[in-house]
Amino acid sequence: MSDTTQFRVLDFDCPACASTVERVLANAEGVEDVEVHYATGRVEIEYDDDVADPDTFAQTIENQGYTPQPA
Amino acid sequence: MNRDGAKRYYRKHRKAIVTAASGLLYVGGWSLGYRTGLDAASAAVLVLATVIGGYDIAKTASHEITNRTLGIKTLVTLAAAGAVLIGEYWEAAAVVFLFSLGSYLEGRTMRKTRTALQELLELTPDTATVRREGELREVPAREVEGGEVVVVKPGEKIPVDGDVVDGESAVNQAPVTGESAPVHKADGDEVYAGTVNREGALEIRTTGAGSDTTLERIIRRVEKAQEAQSPTESLIDRFAKYYTPGVIVLAVVAFAVTRNAILSLTLLVIGCPGALVIGPPVSIVSAIGNAARSGVLMKGGEHLERAGKIDLVAFDKTGTLTKGETAVADIEGFGLADDEVLRLAATAEKKSEHHLADAIVDAARERSPAATDGGRAVADAAAPEPSRQSVPDPDDFDVVAGKGVIARLDVAGDAGGSSDRSDGGHELVVGNRKLLDERGVAVPEPVAEYVREREERGETAVHVVRAGTVVGAIALRDELREAAPGVVAALQDAGIETVMLTGDNERTAAAVAEEVGIDDSRAELLPEDKQAVIEAYQADGRVVAMVGDGINDAPSLATADVGIAMGAAGTDTAVETADMALMADDLDRIPYAVTLSKATRWNVLENVGLAVLTVTVLLAGVLTSYVTLATGMLVHEASVLAVILNGMRLLRY
Repeated sequence: MSDTTQFRVLDFDCPACASTVERVLANAEGVEDVEVHYATGRVEIEYDDDVADPDTFAQTIENQGYTPQPA
Repeated sequence: MNRDGAKRYYRKHRKAIVTAASGLLYVGGWSLGYRTGLDAASAAVLVLATVIGGYDIAKTASHEITNRTLGIKTLVTLAAAGAVLIGEYWEAAAVVFLFSLGSYLEGRTMRKTRTALQELLELTPDTATVRREGELREVPAREVEGGEVVVVKPGEKIPVDGDVVDGESAVNQAPVTGESAPVHKADGDEVYAGTVNREGALEIRTTGAGSDTTLERIIRRVEKAQEAQSPTESLIDRFAKYYTPGVIVLAVVAFAVTRNAILSLTLLVIGCPGALVIGPPVSIVSAIGNAARSGVLMKGGEHLERAGKIDLVAFDKTGTLTKGETAVADIEGFGLADDEVLRLAATAEKKSEHHLADAIVDAARERSPAATDGGRAVADAAAPEPSRQSVPDPDDFDVVAGKGVIARLDVAGDAGGSSDRSDGGHELVVGNRKLLDERGVAVPEPVAEYVREREERGETAVHVVRAGTVVGAIALRDELREAAPGVVAALQDAGIETVMLTGDNERTAAAVAEEVGIDDSRAELLPEDKQAVIEAYQADGRVVAMVGDGINDAPSLATADVGIAMGAAGTDTAVETADMALMADDLDRIPYAVTLSKATRWNVLENVGLAVLTVTVLLAGVLTSYVTLATGMLVHEASVLAVILNGMRLLRY
């Protein structure tokens, strides 16, 4: 089953940073679709909940050097 | 415990701490070298400053490289590493420190832009007082279910969307509709979560809670709008994709040709497309956020950029320039009593849903003896809709779009009486001159005179015809919105032409147009004609905005370059067809929305201009060796901050 989760990242400091996070999340296991928006800081992840563990998404964003907040 | 606290503090303020540390080390290393001449010590401190400040940057750069999204951090890392390698420790530390400082400030200012909308959400209270099983309970607002009754005391914020079932109050709806004046609410009125109950206690039957409220829907829509790329943004994005790799190639070539390492490293630093890619989205997000807080929904950057070019605003008349509350102003019987004329007209119009019909039926009810106290009691008991009870039903009924109605009635209005259908009853026609001409009904001169006179006052007159003879005329008036003349004048001041489009006849239109002070008016238009008028203006090269109610005017809103729907808080359809929507029926927002769009367009151009100018000047400076790494980075970061701050001006427009 497909599910969607959202985060808000307030500390993106360049548009390319947002694209990098988007690529990394897109390559994560079970992720079907990702949108990361620099201007609003909104991260929307659509994933297959049989495969992906949504708890790891926040950690993935943190590893990139940004602070995800639940949205 | 204390350690945990320190850790959390460090994590939260990591960027600031790292920036400050690298800055202090940078100053320390620099003064060490300058004051004492201890070269080795100074170099060591400067390298430390570079490593501390650069660690996070390099880490992100490695992510960029592995994910093939070459960005500014890759360029900065290359430049700093290169500078250390060639022994330019001071330059390396300066580049890293200035970049950290710059991005820290960028992040902080962007945070303001990113949270501008969230502030709206914080207006919704977390808890609600619900009537459950006969007692009042405090529950989380998200857990209130549809149909439950919520009690809101004066001074409290309303936690859910719903309908008032008890109480009366003034509600400040500014967070949702942008209206500054409180709105009176009583039984049956709709209220929105996040608005403030000012005066009396209200009991509200919940229609939506949690994420299913008007305010939440608006915010989701606005965010989507902010994220939708404008044409300028996508153009720049496509350009930036090739730009960064291009700069790296340029730096390599420059080094191969000149053997000047500083020059090619500086190229890396100034070649970051920072201000160029950051400027336009900041302008657009700020403008859309500002608009949302003022009760104007903008669909996205593309619409906003188009709206910045508007040079003509077309207004629908009824419900847009006027209040849309048509009322009977005068009745004139010709060979029949006034009240009888009204009753005949009301009978014919009873089944029509036209706003003129509503006004006539309402007037008939007010005047009819059946609506006095005695009659009302009977009506209340007999039917759920007493308002129309006093007016008899027509036996047959037909609408002629844009012209009027034709109805049949057994015996002159004697509904419920002894009906004799064998004679076919009377044919009633209520409509404009066109309909009468079409049906071959002669209009006597006194009637034509009366109609002309009323129309010259900006009223709409309809003829009442019974069995082929004009028996009277009814004049209807729709009051102008008080704001209308001011709005038109404000647009004219901004150099924008204004036009009124209406289905009314020429004379009525001309009278209203004069009262409003509008530049031009087009009358006797059917909905599809309005569309044609707009297309004709567009063919002349005009950029046309159309203001209408979003439902009847949907085709013209869609045709116009920018469709602006009024009073959209309740209706989703209006927002679907429009490019912009005013949450309230607040005409005053039109000049604001149009000038904000223009200001945004300029702002985007300023930002692009500033970015291009900065890069050009820096490039010239680098090639003539006036600009080195540190200065290049300083100017670059300053330009990024400048475009962000410039864009954010639109938040306070």
